[in-house]
Amino acid sequence: MPQFDFAHVFWPQLFWLGLSFAVLYFVIVRATLPKLGTLVDARENKISGDVAAARAAKESADAVSAAYHAKLEATREEARAAITAAKAVAAKESEVTLAQAQAGTDGAIAAAEARIATAVRDAEQALRDVAAEGAQAIVARLTGAEVAIDSARAQVDAQIAG
Amino acid sequence: MANPMEQFEVVKQVPLALAGYDISFTNSSLWMVIALAAISIFLFVGTSKLALVPGRWQASVEYLYDFVRKMMDENVGPEGRRFVPLVFSIFIFVLFCNLLGLIPWIGAFTPTSHVSVTLGLALIVFITVCIVGFSRHGLHFFSLFWPKGANPVLGVFVFTIEVLSFLSRPFTLAIRLFANMTAGHVLLKVFGTFVVTLGSFGALPYVFGVVPLAVNVALTALEVLIAVVQAYVFALLASLYLNDAVNLH
Repeated sequence: MPQFDFAHVFWPQLFWLGLSFAVLYFVIVRATLPKLGTLVDARENKISGDVAAARAAKESADAVSAAYHAKLEATREEARAAITAAKAVAAKESEVTLAQAQAGTDGAIAAAEARIATAVRDAEQALRDVAAEGAQAIVARLTGAEVAIDSARAQVDAQIAG
Repeated sequence: MANPMEQFEVVKQVPLALAGYDISFTNSSLWMVIALAAISIFLFVGTSKLALVPGRWQASVEYLYDFVRKMMDENVGPEGRRFVPLVFSIFIFVLFCNLLGLIPWIGAFTPTSHVSVTLGLALIVFITVCIVGFSRHGLHFFSLFWPKGANPVLGVFVFTIEVLSFLSRPFTLAIRLFANMTAGHVLLKVFGTFVVTLGSFGALPYVFGVVPLAVNVALTALEVLIAVVQAYVFALLASLYLNDAVNLH
């Protein structure tokens, strides 16, 4: 086997192997592989960074959504409370208005009734006066006796009451 | 019948000498340089326009790089990243030498079918392992060979075996690759000669040559597989040996 003819094949091959490998390792691989390594690392970082960013974005979106729902619920609650309060205020107001209106009406009715009573009394008084005067005049014509107006009035009153 | 060993003959192209040592440029040197050129084209073109989303060349280079990097991460851990360029160089050099040597007709020579070359590569690994081991752990590196918690008599016995197996690593590493490549090429050559011999059977020419030809086609596919697998095995063992040096255990 020529492989074991070391006297002829060992040193030439070892020298050229050493030279080739030195060029390969120190020139070719050193010039290309680190660039590639940097790129591969950059890609890994980019991907993991993008994934992290997406995760963060999702988390913040979730947080915003939760805040939105909480706010919505709170606002709804607030609105409900405002409606209840407004309802109570309105009810109270209308009660007051009604009471005031009632009071006004009651006063007016009472005044009117008082006026009516006065008018009735005046009319009765006038009627009595007319009747007394009439009776005085009738007595004077028939008998020629002068009847005092006061007794005539008393007579009329007695007649009306009787 | 041609000698199946003839293909492993190292032929001087330019005789050279350095300090009394023969360093002639041979067909073996030529194919190492061709492999080097192919690797540099592959790597330089693949990394010329680096993009976050890789093109075809870049994706191919990245595939090999990721393969080695994952292997180092799995076998050595985060410390292993420092040795990725070395293991990558070994892997790609063995891979290209193995594959280029399989090209028919053009007189391809497979440097990795020579134990001198594979031993050189194995020594690169072995020496790196020793340097890393002793510089990281000092004399503590010898604890790699000592079975923890064993009784001293048994310990000495195991220690001896472990040291011997450690020292034999470069040779097993070298011989595994060399033997695989040599056996494959011999087989291809033998069946190739069968094609010619049986195909020129006078009474019924060509007919009997078909069988060894078919075998040779299948063998070529197998040899491509072996070329890749042996490069992988070489790099894998290098990473495991480096793991011993980096992490002890």
